[in-house]
Amino acid sequence: MKVFKKLTVTALTAVIAVTASFAGIAAAADSLKGKITVNGSTALLPLTLQAAKEFQKLHPKVKIAASGKGSVTGPQAVKKGIADIGACDWDASIDVPGFKAFDGQVANKVAVIPFATIVNKNVGVDNLTTEQLQGIYSGKITNWKEVGGSDASIVVVTRAFGSGTRVNYQAKALAGGDIVKKEKNYKETGSSGDMKTAVATTPNAIGYIDLVYVSGSEIKAVKFNGVAATTDNVINGSYKIWAYGYYMTKGQPTGATKEFIDYVQSKKFQNGSLKKLKFIPIAAMKG
Amino acid sequence: MGAPVQNLASRAQKSSLAEGGISAKRHNRHLFSNTMFRYYFLFSILALCLVLGLVIVFIGKTALLLFDNISPLDFFFSFNWSPEEEAFGAAAFIVNTLSLTALTLLIAVPVSVGMAVLCAEIAPKWLKSFIRPVLDLLVGIPSIVYGYLGLTVLLPFLRRVSGEGLGDGLLAAALVLALMVLPTICRISDDAIVAVPRKYRDAAYALGSTRLQVIMRVVLPAASRGIISAVILGMTRAVGETMAVVMVIGNTPQLAKTLFTPSSVLTSNIVMQISNVEFDSTWNYALHMMAFLLLLISFVLILIIRILGRNRRDAA
Repeated sequence: MKVFKKLTVTALTAVIAVTASFAGIAAAADSLKGKITVNGSTALLPLTLQAAKEFQKLHPKVKIAASGKGSVTGPQAVKKGIADIGACDWDASIDVPGFKAFDGQVANKVAVIPFATIVNKNVGVDNLTTEQLQGIYSGKITNWKEVGGSDASIVVVTRAFGSGTRVNYQAKALAGGDIVKKEKNYKETGSSGDMKTAVATTPNAIGYIDLVYVSGSEIKAVKFNGVAATTDNVINGSYKIWAYGYYMTKGQPTGATKEFIDYVQSKKFQNGSLKKLKFIPIAAMKG
Repeated sequence: MGAPVQNLASRAQKSSLAEGGISAKRHNRHLFSNTMFRYYFLFSILALCLVLGLVIVFIGKTALLLFDNISPLDFFFSFNWSPEEEAFGAAAFIVNTLSLTALTLLIAVPVSVGMAVLCAEIAPKWLKSFIRPVLDLLVGIPSIVYGYLGLTVLLPFLRRVSGEGLGDGLLAAALVLALMVLPTICRISDDAIVAVPRKYRDAAYALGSTRLQVIMRVVLPAASRGIISAVILGMTRAVGETMAVVMVIGNTPQLAKTLFTPSSVLTSNIVMQISNVEFDSTWNYALHMMAFLLLLISFVLILIIRILGRNRRDAA
């Protein structure tokens, strides 16, 4: 497994190196050199790839290899020295449910990721409170009529244990509440795409997902404690289900890695490409 | 292989006797290329063995680390799989894998052997030449396509028929898998039945058998070895299939007590969790042990069916 991963990283590096060297011919001379390997969360991967593309135009001699697998592989790869940056959906320098802190790593905030509670289009409920969600996910509430809907069994769809989305949803939406497996009407999915398909095709289903995935008429996002899941509500502080996305580094970043993280955190990138990818700039949260 | 090689060599010798010096070169050249080919074939089979050996060694090495942390008893006989509480009992997955495979074969084998008989014995020529290419096409469809159809077509149907809220479970997975292995089993059985010599049938008809009797008493027993290897191939595909199963089984680590209990098998649990585990964790070792177990299960199943096949042949 480890050997395979190293091979994959090497292969990716090679591909990107070739691309970079072609791009380099046109760009201006630049003193910044180096190789940056980014590993980890798939949720942050589009952002990393876009940033890498733009950064390499500015600094043609820097080679960036990015790959995505699962949140926890990010800080792990950094710990093993396989990657310089580990993209992670939670702050891996502190303990979270299920995962111990990675000692000596620094968490660099790069984006705000909003999450939404979603239901199948046939569900009549359009608002759920923290207590109601806790009840649904712990298995105490099993029928939609208990939360103001029609008389139908609730089909709970969740992400597998270890998913970054699940860690954040449990912490923010369920206020640390448990997700308990059941013998009926309970299903786990392996990715955000599967989650969307499962909720879209299963009547009476409830699930949760990155807000960027909420589209189409088959699913709808429900309000959380009366507040609609929109980026505006995240920014003004009324919608609480969101989390920072982090770049984990071994100690404070240096050299090309530092430059790259600075670029991702820069106003130009945060308000430009990052917004286009439907993430929220970190600066927006301070207001 | 042996006969043609000898043939070539002796021919080269004869011509060298007739034509003298020039043909001696040719003889040497043939000798050389024959030797080279022998090494090439030997190399091919050794390369395959090496890869298989590496797979077993590497998976096994990581897998066995598991038993430093938990006892084999817990792993094989506990039904409690909760990585968040450091409980790694894989019994539920093992039982689910076996029951899913059994259920799949139960659905697929009778249908596919029936189709094979139809193709080989009964159908008119135009129908044969229509069914066979269609089946070949079905073999080539990627499993994710079957899984997606299962998710979007089969599950809603099962929900309507059964009244379940979800529909995910062993039955849905077995139906998808049965559809997947059906063409494989059917095509190979078909070939086996066609290969039964015509004189067997003629003899049976001459003794006054009906067509059903010929098929059931003569053709199928005579083709049984081929049909068994078809079933083996279908079964290994069913045991190892991952993507299609993940989409319809519900992926919940628990024993499938009913056909509609959302559950998980060895393959689906590995693929669901492998990207979320830490490298040096008991959890990772447990997943590797499950992969190793899959290797063993396929091996044992194949062995059992081979032995069964031999016994039946001896009895016949």
